[in-house]
Amino acid sequence: MDDLKQQIELLESGANLSDTISDVQKAIDLVAAVRNKLDTDPETAPVALARLQRPFKEAMDRVQNDLKPAYKALGKYSKALDKTFKDKPLPTAEDDALSSHPSLINRAIAMHLLREGEFDVASTFLKEATSHPTHAEPTPGTPNPHDEGLSEQDLGTDKLSPQELQAHFQSLYNMLHELRTNRNLEPAIAWAKSQSQLLELRGSNLEFELHQLRFISLFTSKSAQDDYMTDDPESEMDGLLRAWAYARSAFGPFQKRHAAAIQQLMGAMAFAFGVSDSPYKRYFHNNAAWNDVAASFTREYCSLLGLSADSPLYVATTAGTIALPHLLKMQNIMRQKNAEWTTQEELPVEIPLPPSYHFHSIFVCPVTKAQSTDENPPMMLPCRHVISREAMERISRGGRVKCPYCPMESPVKDAKKVVF
Amino acid sequence: MVELTSIELNPDTHILLDQPLLRTPYNLSRQTFKAAQRLIEHQTHILLKDISVAAQSASASASPSKSISDLDSILAKLHTLQRKLSTLHEDEKRHIQASKSRISHLSELYNMQSLVDVKYDAWSRTRLSRLLVDYLLRQGYFESAKALAGRKGIEELVDVEAFMGALRIEKSLREGRDTREALAWCKENAQLLKKVGGEGLEYQLRLQQYVELVRQGHEMARERMRDEFEFEEEEEGEGEAEAKFVEARAYARRFLVGNGDLDLLGRVAGLLAYRPDPERPTEPYASLYSDARWAFLAGLFLQTHHNLYSLPPRPLLHSVLSAGLSALKTPSCHSKIASSSANSASSTTTVCPICSTELNELARNVPYAQHRQSVVEDDPVVLPNGRIYGRRRLEEWNEKTGTAAGWVRDPMGDPLGWDESTFKASEVEKVFIM
Repeated sequence: MDDLKQQIELLESGANLSDTISDVQKAIDLVAAVRNKLDTDPETAPVALARLQRPFKEAMDRVQNDLKPAYKALGKYSKALDKTFKDKPLPTAEDDALSSHPSLINRAIAMHLLREGEFDVASTFLKEATSHPTHAEPTPGTPNPHDEGLSEQDLGTDKLSPQELQAHFQSLYNMLHELRTNRNLEPAIAWAKSQSQLLELRGSNLEFELHQLRFISLFTSKSAQDDYMTDDPESEMDGLLRAWAYARSAFGPFQKRHAAAIQQLMGAMAFAFGVSDSPYKRYFHNNAAWNDVAASFTREYCSLLGLSADSPLYVATTAGTIALPHLLKMQNIMRQKNAEWTTQEELPVEIPLPPSYHFHSIFVCPVTKAQSTDENPPMMLPCRHVISREAMERISRGGRVKCPYCPMESPVKDAKKVVF
Repeated sequence: MVELTSIELNPDTHILLDQPLLRTPYNLSRQTFKAAQRLIEHQTHILLKDISVAAQSASASASPSKSISDLDSILAKLHTLQRKLSTLHEDEKRHIQASKSRISHLSELYNMQSLVDVKYDAWSRTRLSRLLVDYLLRQGYFESAKALAGRKGIEELVDVEAFMGALRIEKSLREGRDTREALAWCKENAQLLKKVGGEGLEYQLRLQQYVELVRQGHEMARERMRDEFEFEEEEEGEGEAEAKFVEARAYARRFLVGNGDLDLLGRVAGLLAYRPDPERPTEPYASLYSDARWAFLAGLFLQTHHNLYSLPPRPLLHSVLSAGLSALKTPSCHSKIASSSANSASSTTTVCPICSTELNELARNVPYAQHRQSVVEDDPVVLPNGRIYGRRRLEEWNEKTGTAAGWVRDPMGDPLGWDESTFKASEVEKVFIM
């Protein structure tokens, strides 16, 4: 990278066409001077023109020579590029399993744009994509694609119409904007209150967390000034009193479930004038709290819509950029060995991803080393060891199976299907 | 054994996919440079000749006003040269600026600790926007592409110009059935095309041009026959048609005969004798007359163009997304049974991106990720209904939802069906995953 940087700076600073322009100017000056002289001394024309030949040729040679540094610099830059990307294969059409489903891709993009709050871009995109549908191309998985085309109706989910979906994201975006930029919690609190029952069933603390943050922000709005003396103790008390009033009105319904947290918050009131030195500091001087609340708000909001919290398109492309180099390398090796991987159902190589990219629990049968599927589910033996159904069938004799991991033997019918 | 998870960020492999990002502006720079070089060489040649002619005519005692007008015309040419160079210099600056921004965008990766660095998250989001703009450009959705690039402030990281130019020419072939713009492009890039083996395009375009001449000739001849039948005169038509055929033959001699295999040349010559007849298509001539050739030319043009600029044949978004869908996909994602570990039913889990509506259908045909070892939550326990959870998560959720002491509720159970999904705590059993 540093090499590339250096070379590009060379191109920028001087090894470019700027010199040719100034040297053409010199040629112009040369000719113009002779031409202007002819106005006053027309009879010197033959001599003047003959004398002009050499300097003019030299001037034009200089213009040509001016190209050399740029030529050299471009060459060096190109070499640096080759070095940076040495032997690195680019993805080909083979790596593309998706061209056969353009409208599904377009749908994913439109929903991503809505999630990002790019409502104008999304509507421009929908207009363009519906009036000029993308042409489906064959892919290794789908050699004869048939695509229905994207219509605005496709944007919804099973439960939501596209208009509803857009409206939902619009309101999510507005509430997040209020929360993050204006530190205004009211819209989010109103929403959480309206969804109170559903949130509770999910075991979510979002509503309380929002109230708690509101309380803290009221509390600190005045006590932030406690480092310097104010002349007006009334205003000093103001925030505190408002926080107190807020606590009385808002925390009521949460008394039972969040008693401990409420006690803590109330206890902090005793340190109202020096909370930054108190044991309650961590509650009150925590800027990350706003981001945490925004994140859990987004997660709950999307979950109630049956959607993942982060844009799936973002998560999947990021995972893809991590995975693709592995896969390309694998392909290269396979090609050299003239081999093909046997199962089309599973990737030929394990891709190490950060832990946050693991969502489902994964059961790999310790006997067959195969991942469990609907057809081959995990079975728990009475000894509570788990193996796949295929493995169990393979090792069973006369309707009985002996656990491969402990001495227990049991009837096959006692094994129980489990779900991870 | 490969590690199951890794947060290691290797920038050198990471930028692999971004090769086109730097190649494209470099190719544009090179193209601009070549244009400047050609311009200077050509003009220098003309100017030197002009000035020596002017000197000769001055010494041959032509009038001084002739010399003045000679010099004026030379000055005019110099000004034109300078103006054209300035335009090219502006292009050059733009391309260099683009390269520079892209290099600094890519070098940011070298300052990141790992894949879980917050800086990486921001970087990766910018990359997604780049990939999206690239995709939109390739589909010809220019308004959306420009709008998105503008909103994200990544204009210098995407190749709006290159794609808009390419798609204009592609359209002129596919819809306009006109080879002129494409041929002009070939001429402009002749040198570079030779380097990447892209001369086939020009040959096919010339062939089409020839086919069109022959087609016109046949049409004129048929018109004439009809006219003759109706009016029994008019010799002119025959001459016109004949002239077209002569033109076509000359065109073929000039552009086609030098290359192309004998078989093709045979078909080329045969066209003169076989007029296009949609009712009785005769091979091997019908395929040359076919309308489908325009779509073929349009495709060939794009392929040649992308190759010249080192742009991948299919949008990078597709390749990256297919790889990502596979890397994340598990057999549970399209299972009929809702997964215990990632679902929307409880606040202790998140919906998996592959299960989310946006990608679920798209991921149906891709392979799922390989795993050689189980990945389950710590301390797994099983409920009497067969659902397995990590003990801590199960307890936490029950605590939060206020389940009575001594009881355990299944987070995946029907929220109101208290009876079927509520169990005695003593029924929760440890399960062993090897």
